[in-house]
Amino acid sequence: MIDYDFLSASGLEEALNYLYKLNQVKVIAGGTDILVNIHNKSKRLPEISYLLDISNIGTLNFIRQVDHYVEIGPLVTHSGLMHEPLVKEKLPLLSCAAHYIGSTQIRNRGTIGGNICNASPAADLLPPLIALRAEVELTYRKGKRVLSLEEFLAGPYKTKIQINELLTKIRIPLPGDGYYTDFQKIGRRKALSISRLNLAVVVKIDEENIFRDARIVPGSATPYPQSLPGVERAVNGQSIHKINIEEIGRIMSEEVVSVTGIRWSTPYKKPVISTLVQRALKEVIKEKSKNE
Amino acid sequence: MNKTKVTFKVNRKQVFLEVGPKERLIDTLRNQLKLTGTKEGCGIGECGACTVILNGEAVHSCLILTGQLEGSEVLTVEGLEIKGKPDPLQQAFIDCNAVQCGFCTPGMLMSAKALLMHNPHPTREEIKTALEGNLCRCTGYEQIIEAIESVAK
Repeated sequence: MIDYDFLSASGLEEALNYLYKLNQVKVIAGGTDILVNIHNKSKRLPEISYLLDISNIGTLNFIRQVDHYVEIGPLVTHSGLMHEPLVKEKLPLLSCAAHYIGSTQIRNRGTIGGNICNASPAADLLPPLIALRAEVELTYRKGKRVLSLEEFLAGPYKTKIQINELLTKIRIPLPGDGYYTDFQKIGRRKALSISRLNLAVVVKIDEENIFRDARIVPGSATPYPQSLPGVERAVNGQSIHKINIEEIGRIMSEEVVSVTGIRWSTPYKKPVISTLVQRALKEVIKEKSKNE
Repeated sequence: MNKTKVTFKVNRKQVFLEVGPKERLIDTLRNQLKLTGTKEGCGIGECGACTVILNGEAVHSCLILTGQLEGSEVLTVEGLEIKGKPDPLQQAFIDCNAVQCGFCTPGMLMSAKALLMHNPHPTREEIKTALEGNLCRCTGYEQIIEAIESVAK
């Protein structure tokens, strides 16, 4: 039996005070993960004495451009990411990935902050956010700290957030000129599916048509989403006309297996992740060719 | 266990309630407010039977705690009818035989209503996307889509 008291914070300070004073507090916003876990009595749930609702803290719901960054409040919903013109125009990778999440009802309620803090290995927003080099701002009563998202993730369903901290901002540097992005997802069906595998690619193609600064992040492939330096190195420096895409696929799947070891799902995931990276690179090359 | 006081609107009427920490919107609607049109299917946001409109957007009432709703506006299937007259969408469901066992119907109606509130003339693809979170185990999807198309023209 999961037993807790319900608390609601109308402002950030109130929420931070609750987190400072009380123990075993679980934060709820959209509730699309935590209420499912409560309903299913999931073993993933920690001991909860208090459920702290932050969904009505208006100051945590924003999307704005500040210099060369897009700043997103943790309460922005997946629908918000899909429809907000700033995200659609400047970070199409993120609005595209948001589109694939759950169903209309889930997207209307689930938040970017929840997707990050739940830290599911299959989270659809984590690979694109890592590939975009997003940073997270964590606020506690007496200050704040900023971590790269990749550093923030600590394991499947685990992050480095402290018990007195709240995720208050996601900060994404805008990819400069010449950057291309792509998102691939495979689920058991189109709607309402948890990713069997997904993949985010962010890469620069320079004036000589050479790949630079590749960031390749698969989801559901490793215990938690992380970039793959081996395959990134293999892509960097290659010409878009001469790159051996099949070879990149092979390197990608080898690198994934080197992280996970051979598992029951490896015979499926190995060829599929190879195909996904090939598809993504082909899309990126097609997009670049369209612009010429 | 504490009770939370919460004030919000349901079908255009203000309600003042005391709710328990685990009380979900679907529990409040069905048990406290006796609005039993909204159905509970899976309880985990997969079937869409419990769909209501919250602040203009389709949501699962099984995945919201009522304590979270201070100041919100909820529209349920009971709120579609105005002055005893069914919403054109409800009439279209009848006319197109879009109801078989009827269990999914309130959720289907609310997902469709939310779509039409934002986009009065959706394409067939947009209708399908709006309904992707609603399951009909009688599999009467064709008639449901046809009904929505008939009012979207």
